This record gives sequence, structure tokens and C-alpha cells, in this order.
Amino acid sequence: MGTFIQLVVDGLSTGSIYAALALAIVLVNQATGLINFAQGGMAVLSAYIAYAFLGLGVPLPLAILVAVVASFLLGALAERFLVRRFERGDPDTAVVVTIGLLTLVTGISALLWGYNNLGFPSLFPLTSVEILGAVVSVRSLATTVTIVLIMVVLQLLFLRTKLGLALRAVADNPGSAAFSGLPVGRLLMVGWGLAATLGAIAGVLVAPQLTLTPGMLDTALVYALAAVILGGLSSPIGCVVAASAIGVLENLVAVYVPLIGHDLKIAVPFVLIFVILILRPQGLFGRKVVVRV
Amino acid sequence: MGTVSSALGRRSVRIALAVLAAVVLLAAPLLLPAFANQTLVRIGVYAVAVLGLNIVMGYTGQVNLGQIFFVGLGAYVTAYGVNQGWNIVVVFIAACVSAGVVGLLVALAAARLGGLAIAMVTIALPIVGVPLAKRLDEFTGGSQGISARFSDAPEWSGLYNDQWQFYIVLVVTAAAFLLARSLVRGKYGRAFAVVKENEAVAASMGISPYRTKVLAFTIASIFGGASGFLYLAAVQYTSPETLSFGHSISLLAAMVIGGAGSIAGSLLGGAYYIFVPQITNAIDPNLTTLSQGAILLAVLFLLPGGLVSLPRALRRLGRRRSGRPTSGNPPKTAPAPHPVPEAALEGPDNKERQDRP
Repeated sequence: MGTFIQLVVDGLSTGSIYAALALAIVLVNQATGLINFAQGGMAVLSAYIAYAFLGLGVPLPLAILVAVVASFLLGALAERFLVRRFERGDPDTAVVVTIGLLTLVTGISALLWGYNNLGFPSLFPLTSVEILGAVVSVRSLATTVTIVLIMVVLQLLFLRTKLGLALRAVADNPGSAAFSGLPVGRLLMVGWGLAATLGAIAGVLVAPQLTLTPGMLDTALVYALAAVILGGLSSPIGCVVAASAIGVLENLVAVYVPLIGHDLKIAVPFVLIFVILILRPQGLFGRKVVVRV
Repeated sequence: MGTVSSALGRRSVRIALAVLAAVVLLAAPLLLPAFANQTLVRIGVYAVAVLGLNIVMGYTGQVNLGQIFFVGLGAYVTAYGVNQGWNIVVVFIAACVSAGVVGLLVALAAARLGGLAIAMVTIALPIVGVPLAKRLDEFTGGSQGISARFSDAPEWSGLYNDQWQFYIVLVVTAAAFLLARSLVRGKYGRAFAVVKENEAVAASMGISPYRTKVLAFTIASIFGGASGFLYLAAVQYTSPETLSFGHSISLLAAMVIGGAGSIAGSLLGGAYYIFVPQITNAIDPNLTTLSQGAILLAVLFLLPGGLVSLPRALRRLGRRRSGRPTSGNPPKTAPAPHPVPEAALEGPDNKERQDRP
């Protein structure tokens, strides 16, 4: 039982990292109709920025704050100067642009910091506490709590502020939003910036565990995309639920199903996807897509 | 310029050019040094993989991030078959069929979700494929990889190994390109084009977008399997590294840079895939990824048709320059085929969306 609780808590912690990335992807998709395959790569670059400031002697919380602000700017600039030109065109070309962005960002990380694994200090103590007889790491708990708090803040931003209302208006109908005087272009930049910020937080939270490499979040991106497919592109809550479920499930399967084990646990969400795509093509919580001619 | 293109259009001239190209390709390995042959062989290997990717992505408009998985699968099946002592033709067929069957299964599920779901599912293939290849070490040799020699030149031919490999790759690559050319010019090619343009229109014409996508994806996987067979013929060794995520991205970049929706562009893509990393690795290995991303984005911005459209873009540039001899500064960049309207700068307003209820 103790192992079980430990696995669930650890699973929720990794699941919350996937959830943050998945939410960032949904945020971009709601605003611009794209899937940003560079979301993971951008988050890794943010973690490297925090690492660079740590190297300059800046304390960890401040370094993370600098990285978060920098990623907001980078996300907004990427939208303005790379993606904007392709937003109205063929969605497949736009996807290739984000893949180009992924390669470019990974390349920048690789050029500046190399491919060797770099240690990143944890924001939270590495001790563990006993809950119901199970030994649970403080880091896992704190990571989950942080991500949940940030999601609540984001939800409040979207539902309770004027900026959030404007962002939702642009996501819902850019044409009408422009007619009512909203600066659509600038709001899209804000949307991308917020998504990059979310990714940056996920990046610095998971970096101590994975150690920094340019491809650190490639696997996490795949999990996040799986969560997005399972939860449905139109449902942020669905994505968070799906991401947490994936995190817990893969942890349990890795330990209790020896045939799969730790090395093949990434196959778990995709087996799930295959089953669900056959039974419920619009995702667990998504709405059915109807395309007008 | 006009006389040249009209001469090119004449049938007899075209046949003469094809014969000339065939003679050059047949004679080349006998005259070139071994290193050049090996490079050309590798270009052929990846040109087939890029060609398959072009069928599903360039012609049918379905972003596929997992093509390298099918190359790796074909390579592993080939290595296994050769080491079991199967006939080489059987091995080739097994490599193509196994990749095709797996591709079919993936496409049957992934194509059910519209839009970009195929991209989102196929990105997992290399990421699942690498640990899978390590796990199935009975067949794959685990992390060590597996080697199989079947492409050494036989005694009677009197050729060197690199020359013999050149001919193996030439035969399969030429067949693949001719098949792909007929495919995209025929009934299925037109179906692919309609599905790419507008799925609702395709459905109204009696073309099932779902079946067309599954068909295109399966064909692409078969080409991937064939490419894997050729990979083993050229390298005689494969390991989980063959199907890594980075290679899959590079393959897609090579396809776009060579020219999406172009048969000749696939060959250029194969050449890009081999040459550019060689050059950048020689300068600084840490530079390879960055340069690939920069080149890919530059091509998307300046030359959306890929390298294969470069002559056309230059010709248009030249015509514009000669048309206005008085203007002092001709445009420096190639004009995009679809000029972006001014309003695009203010953000999208009527694009197709994933989630419109």
C-alpha cells in the first residue's frame, strides 16, 4: 500500500508537468488554431536561461523569475516574427514552422550549453514525509501543488480580468474581436507569451529530476500531446485530467506490469489513445469537430 | 529560355535525356572513388524515405513525424531476415510488408481524428520505437545493434563492394521513384490532392478522406521499409540510434527543404539529409541542429516550394529584373507564390480551426 501511494503521488507530480505543457499547447491552439511542437523546446531554453543566471550568482527563485519573464518575451516574439505569417495559411505549413522553431530552439540550447547533462538545483527540499504510512517526497508534492496553483491563477486571469476576456474574445472569433477594437495581433502575442511562461515553469520544476539537456522535454512533449489528444483540444480541464491520469497510470504500470516496465511505459498513453480513438474519436471531453465548407 | 523549354517538352528529347541519365548512373560507380559512391548510396537510401514522406505529407497534406520509425523497422526486419538466412528477395518483401502493416494500423487509428492528430500520434513512434528496439534484444541486438552482411559484391561480378551496393540502391531507388511518379500522376494522386485541398470537397466527390489518408500513410510506410532495407545494404548495421527522434525531425526538414509535393524534390531532400550535417559537423557538431532549424525556417519564409522551386523563383526574379531595367534595386528575395495580404499582419480572422463547434 505504501508503495502504491508513493507511486500515485510521484505520478501526479510528473502528470502535473505534462499537464502544464498540455495546457500551454491548448492555450496556443485556442488562440491561433496551431499545435506548437516547439512548446517543450522553448521550455528547455527557459530552464537554460535560469541555469545561466544561477551561474552568475543570482539566487534560484530570482533566476527562475528572470527565466519566466524572458520566456514570456520569447514566446511573444516567436508569435510575432515567425508564426504570424503562417497563421492564416495552410495549417500543415504552420506546423512545420513550429517544428522548425523546435529545431532552432534546441539548436540554440545545444550551441550555447552543449549536449552534456547539467545539474539543476531543486527549488524544493529533497526530503520526504510520511503520509498514511507511505514515504512521499516533498518535491513531488510541492511540484504538484505549484502547478495546480498556477492553473488556478491562469483560470482567474481568463475568467475574472479584462485581459482574460479579450484573450477569450480573440480565441473565439478574431474577426469580431478586431471589429470591436481589440488589438488582435498583440493579444495573440500575449497568448503565446503566457503559454511559454507556463512551459518555462514546467521546465524549471522538472529540470532537477531530468537534468538539463537540449532534448530534456522531448518525451514530456509526447506525453503532453497524448494528454491533449485524450482530453480533447477544446477542453483545458480534460487535458489536465488526462495528463494526471497518464502520469499516475504509467507509474503504476511500470512497477506492476513487468512486461512493460520503466523503459516501455511511454507506450501506455498511446495504447490508451488507440483504444479511445477507435471508441470516441473526439477525445474524452472534447466536442466533435464540424468543418464548414 | 522559351526554345529550351519547348525542346524539353518534345517526347524524343525527353527519352534521349532519360537514356543519358540512365547511362551516366550506370557508369558512375565504375568511375567514381569509393567515398563518392558511398555518399551517393546514402543519398539514395534517404531519398526513398523522403519520397515516402512526400507522398503522405507533400501530396496528401498529413504531417507525419514518424517516418524514421518505418525506416528503422525495415532495417531491423532486413537484418533479422538476413541473419536467418532468408532469400534476399523475401527479406526485401518482408521489410516492406512489415512496415506497411504497422503503418496501416497506426493510420487506421490516427486518421480518425481530423486535423493535426496524425502529427501528434506519429511524433510518438520514434520515442516509443527506441526503447522498444532496446527491449526486443532477441531480434534487434538491444542497444548494441545488429549487423548483417548481404550486400558484399559477389565473386563473379568483379566489382568492389561500394559499386555493388550502388547498383542495389540504384535499382530499388529508381523503381521507387518511377512508382511514386505514376502514383501521384494517376487517380490516387488526384485523390491525394483533393484531400489535401479540402476534405469536405473530397467527400462530396465520393473520395473518402479517411481511406485516402490511410492509403497515403501506408504507402509512405512501405517506402520507409524499403528505405530501411537499403539502409542495411549501405551500412550493414543498425541500432536504436537509427530511429531516434532527431533523425525523424531531420527527415521532415529534408522533405520540406527539398520540395514538398515534388518527386525531384525528394532526391534533393535526400542529398540535403546527407550533405548538410556532414558540412556542419565538420565545422562544429553543436551547430548541426541550429543550422538545420535556421535553414528550414529560411526555406519556409523565402522559398516555400523548397529547393526544387529555386530555378523557377530565380527565373521569375530575372524576368522581373529585365522587365524593369530602370529600377535600381531589384528585390533580393524570391517572391512567394501566394503573396500575403496586408491584413495578415493584423492577425487571423477566418482561418479554419480545430475546435469550431
